[in-house]
Amino acid sequence: MGNLLEIRDIHTFIGQFHILQGVTVEVPEGSIVALLGRNGAGKTTTLKSVLGLTPPRRGQVILDGQAIHGRRSFDIAAMGIGFVPEHRAIFRDLSVAENLKIAERKKGDFERKEEMIFGLFPDLKRLIKLPGTNLSGGQQQMLAVARALVPDNKLLLIDEPSEGLAPVIIEQMMVAIKKLSAESTVLLVEQNFIVASKLAERYVIIEEGKSVKQGLMADLVNDKETIHRYLGAA
Amino acid sequence: MGELLKKNRTRLITLAVLAFMFVTAVQGMETKDWVITVLRGLSVGAITFLVASGFSLILGLMNILNLAHGEMFMIGAYVGWTVYVRPDTFVDVIAPLAFLAVGLILMPLWRVLLGRLNVSARVAQVWPWVGLVVALLILAATFVKFPIAIWDAEVYAESPTTYALGMSQGLATVPEAAVFEGISPFVAIVGTLLGSIVLAVSLVGLSQREQTAVSGTYINKGPIIGAALVLLVGLAAFWGNNALTEYLYNMNTTGRFFLSMLVAVLGGGVLGMLIETTLVRPLYERHTYQILLTLGLSFIGIEVVRAIWGRPEFTMPKPDLFAAGGGDCPATSIGGWLANNCSTILLFDGRVRTYNEIFIIFVGVVVLVAIWLLLQQTRIGMIIRAGVQDSEMVEALGINVQRVFTFVFSLGVGLAALGGVLAAPSIGLSPAMGTRLLLLALIALAIGGLTSFPGAAAGAVLVGLMQQFIIKYGQIGINIPFMAEPFKPSPPLVPASTVLLMVIILLVLPNGLFGRSE
Repeated sequence: MGNLLEIRDIHTFIGQFHILQGVTVEVPEGSIVALLGRNGAGKTTTLKSVLGLTPPRRGQVILDGQAIHGRRSFDIAAMGIGFVPEHRAIFRDLSVAENLKIAERKKGDFERKEEMIFGLFPDLKRLIKLPGTNLSGGQQQMLAVARALVPDNKLLLIDEPSEGLAPVIIEQMMVAIKKLSAESTVLLVEQNFIVASKLAERYVIIEEGKSVKQGLMADLVNDKETIHRYLGAA
Repeated sequence: MGELLKKNRTRLITLAVLAFMFVTAVQGMETKDWVITVLRGLSVGAITFLVASGFSLILGLMNILNLAHGEMFMIGAYVGWTVYVRPDTFVDVIAPLAFLAVGLILMPLWRVLLGRLNVSARVAQVWPWVGLVVALLILAATFVKFPIAIWDAEVYAESPTTYALGMSQGLATVPEAAVFEGISPFVAIVGTLLGSIVLAVSLVGLSQREQTAVSGTYINKGPIIGAALVLLVGLAAFWGNNALTEYLYNMNTTGRFFLSMLVAVLGGGVLGMLIETTLVRPLYERHTYQILLTLGLSFIGIEVVRAIWGRPEFTMPKPDLFAAGGGDCPATSIGGWLANNCSTILLFDGRVRTYNEIFIIFVGVVVLVAIWLLLQQTRIGMIIRAGVQDSEMVEALGINVQRVFTFVFSLGVGLAALGGVLAAPSIGLSPAMGTRLLLLALIALAIGGLTSFPGAAAGAVLVGLMQQFIIKYGQIGINIPFMAEPFKPSPPLVPASTVLLMVIILLVLPNGLFGRSE
């Protein structure tokens, strides 16, 4: 199977800071790839660089054989990328229904996906009329993931889906992500190594703005030394 | 429900206290005075709201403090005045502007065509500038030669003041039509079209110098149809110039007034679009520069208006529908007013002016409802509300936020321009009218909550009421216990009172009535 997304040696600056200094990631079609690394290593910036929110100054981003770096963010997203940002970024003043509706790229996207989305997150159906600000953290996270599912996306960029959630909700989130990876490819940032190792088939470790190691998750789980060296966890 | 009450306790108490204050004011004066004062307050509030709502939408969505917003209000008033009092000038201006716009509307087409050309980098650095110079030379030889019948602000007999006076006395005469001198009309039209195309192509070249990726490689039908329509409008205005001028002069003034409102709104919208796409867009991330830019624009706006319309203040006569007196006036019912075009109407035995206190409020309410519907019921409104909170995330959903920015900026400027033309028959025109009103709008926004739409409405109404009640008390005095004479607030206390209201409300609610803490 070919790679849906290839990030080739990108360098990204935020202001004058050289945040990414050569990140290379390959995401095979239909797989879940996890970006691992310490806080501030540049995992979130990598996701944002793919979307052009922090456009890379050098390097290439290839989606489905097409170079997408240098395009405008909305253009890149409209090619079929869904984004679930850190801290969810749901729209507080919009109702749950509006939060989903706004993600439509074609008229009726939401109606077509409604069943699938409420199948994954039955809670949302009950909350459909509430404003986003009234949701709990877990519900907001579900909404953020659901929002990325409304249009037909080939690739989902998910940033820290388990952050700040109760274990029960994390469990539910993992089931959902596993399920939806059947239909689209996922590039995941996850601090919680246990969650990441259960979800992802492949991993890429990012250290101080560089991708330093990548491979199969199954191999990493037994490689205590690498885990200790780069992730600081046992 | 109970939780909702608890959360908003301070806000509700504040609103109740304010409402109580304005209602109990009726004790100190006659009922009819109170009614008139409230209506005047609402009228000032409606005008303030038109400026404040656009300002707050722009601030909320784009994080831009548009300090030139007051000048947009002023320019709306002057443009509306011109259409209303000197329709011949308005008709003369349509054709050249339409021809100039044709090339610019076709910009997306030039972008695609240029993207297909392969020009070496060095040539690409130079040719746009050459093109720009050529375009300006062509336009200087043709565009500016279009004949425009205009007033002369320096000569009293031909100044805007005189024309306004003449019209209000029913003495409006059609000034002599201007004719082409030293250039054939055909050359002027073709030259302007050519100059406009060269200008647009050069501007596109200028913007593409550093862009690596080409966005949009297919040709859209929209701009071509638009350009064709504008070209037709220009040609029609050129050939039908005299007929159109005559038609507008013979139209009844109410119809012409509505036309001038429409032109002011559309003109404001186009002006806003131009400002946003050319000046504001390069400065999205640089807030200090934005403030300098909009402050500079406001000075430029004032000076341009002074140069064209002159320094002195002048009036805009009220349209016929609101102008008649005597006979069956003041009217006792809405029907009576509409039948006799009364300038006043009796309400609780008080004379209420139909234009100032009824029509302005009516338009304000219509706009309030229209924008509310736009924000709540349409997709673009939903995108605006979402963008106010997090425009980056909206962009990440695949929505072109920049286009929404342009729309909102143009909507805001259009609303301010509508406010200007609406206020002009009531307060007259002066180059300083915008600055004064922006100050009032800013106070209203601080009271209501800077980026809240209901806040803009509530703040504007409160400011208007406060101002008008203090003015009224300045005439009749407030009885204060243990004071021998009633206290009469002096005129300087009028603006001070609105600031005082703002200070008190901000002490109780630091984010304003409807604002949310960030």
